[in-house]
Amino acid sequence: MKKIININFHSRVIPIEETAYDILRKYLDNLKKYFAAEEGGDEIVNDIENRFAELFSERLKKGATCITDDDVNDTITSMGHPEDFDQEENIKSSGTAGNTSYTYSEPNAEPEHRSLYRSENDKMLGGVCGGLAAYLRIDSSVVRIIYALLILGSFGTALLLYIILWIVLPPKSMVTTVKKRLYRNPDQRVIGGVASGLAAYFNIEVWIPRLIFALPLIIGFLASIFRHVWFDYDRGPVFFTGGFGGTLFITYIILWIVLPEANTASEKLEMRGEKIDIESIKNTIKSDLEGFKQKASQVGDEMKKQAQQFGTQFKNRSTEFSRNMSAGPSPRNGIGHAIGVLFRAFFLFIAAICTFALVMALIGLIFTGSGVLPLKNYVLTGFWQNLLAWSALLLFLILPVIGLLTWLIRRIIGARKGSNYLGYIFGTLWVIGLISLLSLIASVSSDFRTRAGVSEDLKIESPVNGKLIVKMDEQKPLYFESDWMGINWHHNAPFFEVSEDSLTMNTVRVNIVKSSDSAWHLRNEKMSRGSNSGIARNLASQINFNVQQRDSLLYLPAGFSVKPNQAFRNQQVLLVIEMPVGKRIRMDRSLDDFHWFNINRNSHDQGFNFEWDNSWDNSDNSWESDVDYVMTDHGLERVEKLSAPGDQENKTEDQQEDLNKKADSQKTYRYHKPEMKKTSKSVTSDSNKDIEDGSPLVLFMQWS
Amino acid sequence: MRKGILEFCILSIIRRGEAYPSDIVEEMKSANLHILEGTLYPLLTRLKNAEMLTYRWVESNSGPPRKYFSLTEKGLAFYRELETTWKELANAVDTLANKSERPV
Repeated sequence: MKKIININFHSRVIPIEETAYDILRKYLDNLKKYFAAEEGGDEIVNDIENRFAELFSERLKKGATCITDDDVNDTITSMGHPEDFDQEENIKSSGTAGNTSYTYSEPNAEPEHRSLYRSENDKMLGGVCGGLAAYLRIDSSVVRIIYALLILGSFGTALLLYIILWIVLPPKSMVTTVKKRLYRNPDQRVIGGVASGLAAYFNIEVWIPRLIFALPLIIGFLASIFRHVWFDYDRGPVFFTGGFGGTLFITYIILWIVLPEANTASEKLEMRGEKIDIESIKNTIKSDLEGFKQKASQVGDEMKKQAQQFGTQFKNRSTEFSRNMSAGPSPRNGIGHAIGVLFRAFFLFIAAICTFALVMALIGLIFTGSGVLPLKNYVLTGFWQNLLAWSALLLFLILPVIGLLTWLIRRIIGARKGSNYLGYIFGTLWVIGLISLLSLIASVSSDFRTRAGVSEDLKIESPVNGKLIVKMDEQKPLYFESDWMGINWHHNAPFFEVSEDSLTMNTVRVNIVKSSDSAWHLRNEKMSRGSNSGIARNLASQINFNVQQRDSLLYLPAGFSVKPNQAFRNQQVLLVIEMPVGKRIRMDRSLDDFHWFNINRNSHDQGFNFEWDNSWDNSDNSWESDVDYVMTDHGLERVEKLSAPGDQENKTEDQQEDLNKKADSQKTYRYHKPEMKKTSKSVTSDSNKDIEDGSPLVLFMQWS
Repeated sequence: MRKGILEFCILSIIRRGEAYPSDIVEEMKSANLHILEGTLYPLLTRLKNAEMLTYRWVESNSGPPRKYFSLTEKGLAFYRELETTWKELANAVDTLANKSERPV
């Protein structure tokens, strides 16, 4: 008893036994594979199928009820198996020697006749890699990945070569001979089967890719042991494993998403495919060279013929080209083609740069993430803000990069099934990320809604000689020094020091005003922001900024610290010095290390403005460091300005120096002055020489 | 079968008029030349790709339209070439085979 099925075979309805159908299909598949490498292979198989259909319908006409196994086998015998064709062809090719009359094109399955083309059907950009893959008989994805690495490694020279090949090589439609694809292997999976799929693809042991993926975990584990035993402060391994491991982790996830699972037997065969290794590439090249030797004798004649052909062609082309130029360049031929290629290459280059920048940004984010992490606690409060921050980071920033990489890799390996739901998932998650980012901004900005401050009067005694010198108290040693990427963060950042349990701020500003009476006064205005004025005032009152006076010297602390439970709300200290008329004051250069900035909510209540040193230079209260000032009825005046230009003899050498300095400092804006940084650094190095000059290791040790 | 002979046979059949692959098979069978049909189709396609043959679709009353092949100018030239080669070869073989005795 056999099942009979009806098939539509080349516009003929044929009832056929199921087993017979299986035999037929297997045979036809074999044929397809055999002719796959040949130009017009599809057509040949089509013709043969047509013949089958014809023979079957004849048999049915003669009265058979259906096509049986025997019918199929008979037909196959008369048609011959691919292996038999091979024999015939071999006999044939052995007879080719000395016979030059056969000039029609041979199937390009024969190695001596293969040459380099651009592939028309296996292509991503210009089909150059596809053509190379067909030439070398290896998987085109492997060629692409290697070529991409080559481009990166050669700093773009390989890209130029690609463009040249794109222009020079003739296009040709070809069927890839290597049927090998990257799959996930469900049989040997630990997590997603990615590692074993890679192992099958590259024909290596399964443990190798597994080890590579697991390596950061192991290193991280070992490093954490080492850290706890010996170097409690060594942050190196954490950064390394954090960045490297993170990248590998993301790679694994992307491959998991991108790669299809090898479920059917044929997919499993495709997964292993033909061995791709150096040996097979060597073999192809070797057989090519042998073919080349045979070819060499023919080349002489061909060259002559081609030169003649080229001459006529060139003549035709040039007339055609001049015609084309008047009608606009055609991308199909000659220079028009080259221009088209260059244009496309240009846009692809831009796109590649954008992608590269995004990926680098992601890697940078992962690397610096742990460095910025401590800051987070000072801005965000409560569970919801933290949750929103994480979801915004992961979904809004990292997800698009993963999506882009996924898309790229899918294109590279030529994934056949485009899964729409993947796009929907990515889109939805990104929108969620966007929403959480917006609500996070709204939530955080409401925490900065109002600004309030407390004012406290501090005791100050009149300096004996009538001159007050304001200095930064540098008795306190520096805890942390980092010179990262050429920027000295200590001197340029508002955050003097950031760690998990304290944030030292130096948003301190000193204003000098005229005293209403004949005494010195000192007022400390402490300000903060908060969701309401009560909270802001409370935060402001927690600022601890102790000013000390030692006769004519007024010492200010280097900063004030904010604890995590207080949170960062743009706390500021405004020190107001009220001085009587006729008294002198000098601000030490060390005060330049203070950085004042305001966070203002804009008029629409939707964001912040970060303002550094607002109205510093325009304000009446402005001063420059290391300049002697005197209080007059009109306000603060420079000492040397008062001593009129006519009184040359009054000018001491010291004042002359001040004048020079003043001229220097007026040239550039206060906070962009490179020499200021230098000088402030030198001030520090005087007091903390060993730290400044020490190697990073020493600094880490000191910090711990 | 030696390379070229099969082509020669096919071309000589087609030269006489448009031919349908199945006809070619039948004709060769009747001439007692047994070939694997599977080798015929690739040959036809290759000759067609080399612009020696051309074909047109002809409606048939049984089943789908059929491919009828005919010779092109180039194909005809190639056929002539093959013909001379074949005749030379046949003559040479004949001469050798029919010589009953070696001249002493």
